[in-house]
Formats: sequence, structure tokens, C-alpha cells
Amino acid sequence: MKRMNSGPVGYVSVGRKIFNISNAVFLFIVSMVVLIPLLMVIVTSLSPDAVVAREEYVLIPRGITFDNYIRIFKSGYMSAFINSILVTVAATAVSMLLTVVMGYAMAQKDLIGKKFLIRFVVATMVLDAGIIPFYMVVKNLGLIDSYLALIIPAAISTYNLILMKNYISSIPTSIIEAARIDGCSELGILFKIVLPISIPIIAAITLFYAVSHWNSYLNVVIFINDSSKYTLQVLLRQLVYQSESAISSASALNNFKMAVMIMTMIPVLILYPFIQKYFISGIMLGSVKE
Amino acid sequence: MSTNTMVVAEKQLEKQKKHSEFFKKFKRQRPILMLLIPGVLWYIIFKYVPMLFAFNAFTDYGTRAEVSFIGLENFRQLFSSPGFWGAFRNTLIISFLNLVFYFPLPIILALLMNELIFTKLKRLVQFIVYIPHFFSWVVVGAIFTMVLAPNDGIVNQIITSLGGESIYFMADESWFRWVLVGSYMWRDVGYGTIIYIATISTIDVQLYDAATVDGAGYWQKMWYITLPSLKGTIATVLLLTVARILLIFEQVLVMYIPPVYSVSEVLTTYSYTEGILNGNIGYATAVSLFTAVISSILVIGCNKISKKFLGESII
Repeated sequence: MKRMNSGPVGYVSVGRKIFNISNAVFLFIVSMVVLIPLLMVIVTSLSPDAVVAREEYVLIPRGITFDNYIRIFKSGYMSAFINSILVTVAATAVSMLLTVVMGYAMAQKDLIGKKFLIRFVVATMVLDAGIIPFYMVVKNLGLIDSYLALIIPAAISTYNLILMKNYISSIPTSIIEAARIDGCSELGILFKIVLPISIPIIAAITLFYAVSHWNSYLNVVIFINDSSKYTLQVLLRQLVYQSESAISSASALNNFKMAVMIMTMIPVLILYPFIQKYFISGIMLGSVKE
Repeated sequence: MSTNTMVVAEKQLEKQKKHSEFFKKFKRQRPILMLLIPGVLWYIIFKYVPMLFAFNAFTDYGTRAEVSFIGLENFRQLFSSPGFWGAFRNTLIISFLNLVFYFPLPIILALLMNELIFTKLKRLVQFIVYIPHFFSWVVVGAIFTMVLAPNDGIVNQIITSLGGESIYFMADESWFRWVLVGSYMWRDVGYGTIIYIATISTIDVQLYDAATVDGAGYWQKMWYITLPSLKGTIATVLLLTVARILLIFEQVLVMYIPPVYSVSEVLTTYSYTEGILNGNIGYATAVSLFTAVISSILVIGCNKISKKFLGESII
């Protein structure tokens, strides 16, 4: 902060003062634009039917009820919620395993074909065959309508893999070499020595994967036809947009929709403080080029 | 002659040495190379094999029981289809709007946040603005549907209280593209900002101190130190943006409804509808392939431009 002050110590020009205050006001408004819709969702989801039926937006609570959440627990949305949780947990575990193991191998200093390997991986960030060929691969593997289709095809994020590789590269080689000389196996080194030092990056990447698997929508729509296997994201889309395309038809009240929305956001909201904590460091680590 | 044979022999020896060194290294690294197998297999199956399936673009896969090679027929059909040109046009318009209105925003926001002197507010703003990036497009779409609802949405209630007429943004052809741009901004502007802030935080403080000694003001420091240091980051972000510019997909798929298809059907959603919903795989693959080729040209072009102006290529 100090570095931004110029001129004699303690002196701030009037123009600068005006800038500082309008800048603060502007950024405050920006954050409110983000925050107010979220508050509206939370408040509406807790509002009784009578309040919502008045067809006004609700920003300040006028009566609080948990009825909408109780309705969800008794409805099909609950099983979709459970589907979402199971898929997210399984997919994150698979993602982490693949990413950590491959990241560790790629981090070896004198690895054979390392340059080629990095290009092979990074090229996929730009080259994309498109959705139909991707669908054909999954279909030919016989994964349509299987939860595996939500777990394996989206298992590795190249961005996360590179983060992992860069972090492990920064660990002093002497520690790893010492263990190797002691006759420790590679997997042993990875799990007993490298992982304990890499807790921050592992936490960060686990969170990134969990959020992206939880939010996954496209793959569910494409690969899953059996509606009993739908995740919450798909049901929320249907709930919100069914009433949108058929305006007059009897549709669920807003408070119920908002409650489903909260259920769809809740894991992200709970994890957000942690995500935020690791987010900046993750990007900083990612900017380390090799 | 004898020296010649000597040289040849020496070269052979060296070659052998290199070979045996390679094998030694290979033997030593075998356990590590084994660890690479699952990951590399995954990349081959889910990133590179799909490229082989792009061959379907030259077949009539999906339309008949027996697949046959039909050459460029799909492309001929493609270029004479109004649906395709509509999708291409929409993709370009929406991408252009995003590029013009969204792209500079995170840079400006990062510079402003960097100038913010109230530490507590700074922390609060930083905490809040990234939240939406972690929401799915379904959630973002639902939030916008609520906020922009014709009767009880906050935006329309403000419009009507000011004497205007309520607008059904989500179903209005003249507004929907702006809804896409706006929701993209709302979701990702904070995330975009953080990348620049991370770069700004790596700038050597001594540069600012030296500039202060030389009598530079706030704006001069921002213009001559902060902004130039962001050059590389801006180029990288621009390249990644351009690489994905034609691939805009999930946002549209989630948010569009039939009344606005005509202004928001993009190449990816068009390919999805034709291929997965209508089963016309060959034709849809042709759309995908066309998109991929144009995308690659854009990326390579962008990389060349960056090489020329920044003196470094991004990829």
C-alpha cells in the first residue's frame, strides 16, 4: 500500500482524494452487483408462499420458513442431490489419483522425452476436436448411461496437472534422491515424501476438481439418458426453464426454485472460503513457466 | 584414409555410448515411466482419439445403417445451409461482443483494485467478486432468469417504477445477446481480475520507489510501470480467449430458449443439436471440424502476432 504514495510523505492532493473515494464507491457497487442477487436467492428460498405470490422481488426477509427445504427433502430433488454428491466424490478421487501420479512423473528433472510429453499435454489446451467426436469415443467405450461417463472422460484437467507438476518440480531433488538411494519405491516416495510436502497444492487442486465435477452439466446431458441418474444441475435447469418456455403453465413458486438453487450452490458456498484461500496461490504457482 | 576410419569408428563408439546411456537411463527411469502410463493413456483416449473420429465428417454416419465415405458432401451441405451460417454469424457476433466489452474489464478492475487504499474494503471486494466464477452456468442462468424475470424480477421492477415498460430479457431477440455478455461478465470478471492482480503483486516495489524519487505521479506509475508489466499476461489471456472464442457452448446451451434460438444458436450448440439430438453424426462432425480448423488458425495467427509485437510466443 505504501508504495502507491507519491510526493512528500503524508501529502495527498485533493484530486487524488476524490479519486480514492470514487474508486472505493465504484468497487463497492461492483461487489454489491455480485452480492445482491445471491442475497435475493437466499432470502426468497426462506420466504413463505404468501410472500412470494405477491410477485415482488424479496430482498429483506418478510417471514422465514424452512418449508421449501423440507419439500426438497421429500422430493426427487433429494436423490439428484445425492447423485451429485456421489459422482463428485468419486470423480474427484479419480482425478486426484491420475493428476498426482502423472504430475509426479512429469516433474522428474531428466525424464526421457520430457519436452515432448509437456507439448503432448499442453497442446490439448488449444486443440479440441469438438463435442461430437468426444461423444463418439465415450459411446464406443460403452459408457453411455453409466456414472463412469461422468467420472473418467473429465478426469484430468491439464491446467491442474501443470500446477501439480510445477509444484513438485520445486521440491529439492536431494530429498527425493536420498529416498531413492535408501531403496524406496517410486510410489513410496510419492506417497510418503512428496505428498506430505505438497499439501497446499493438493488441497487447492482437490477443491478445483470438486467444484468442476459438482458443476458439470454438459457431460450429464450428453452421456446420461436415464433420468433417475440425473444430477442436481440438470434438474435445476429443467425446473427453471420449463416454466420459462411455458409461461402460463402452473409452475413451482419462486421460493421452491430458489431453495433448489441453494442446494445446487451449497457445496460451493461452504467450500468458498477455502477455495478463495488457495485460489491466489494456485494462480501464482501456475504462472511459473518452465 | 586411416584417419577417416578412425573418425568413423570414433563416431560409432560415441553413438553406442549414447545408446547405452539412453538404455541405462531408461532402465533407471522405468518405474517412473510406468507411473506415466495411466495419464498418457487417458490423454490418448480422451484428447487424441477424438481427433481420429473427426474423420466422420467425410461420412454419412448416423443417417443410414451402413456408413459410407461421401467425401466433401457434408461440407457442401454445410455451406449451403442457412442454419449453419446463422450459427456462424451468431458465434462471431457474441464472441465479438465478449471480446470488446468483457476482455478489457478485468484489466481495468485489477488496476483500480490495486489503487484502492482502504485495506478492509479491498479485502471485502476481493472476497466477493470471485464467488460467481465457481457457480455452474445452470446456477448463473437461474440467477439471471430470476433477476430479469418480466413480473417480479428486480430489474424490471426498477424499470417499471421509473415509468418504463417491462422487458422479457430472456426471450427477447434484441436483448438476449446482451444477457449472454452480461452474465459472462457477472460470472467471470472477478476471476479474470485475479490473474492480473497476481501479476501486479510480482512487480518489484523498488521500481515504484525509484519512480517516486524521479517525481512520477500515480497515473504515470500506473501507465509506465504497472500496465507494461501486465503485457505478457494480457497476451496470454487474449490467446486463451481467442482459442475458445468459437467454442462458446455451455453458457448458451443452458441459457437459451426457443424464442431466442435465432440470435443465439452458435456453432457448438448447432453441432450438438444436429449430432446428438437429431443423430446426424457425420454432418455434426463436419461442423465440429470446421470450428476446430478456424479456431486453430486464430490461435496460430494470434501467436504469430504476439511473437512479432512482444518478442515472445505464448505457446
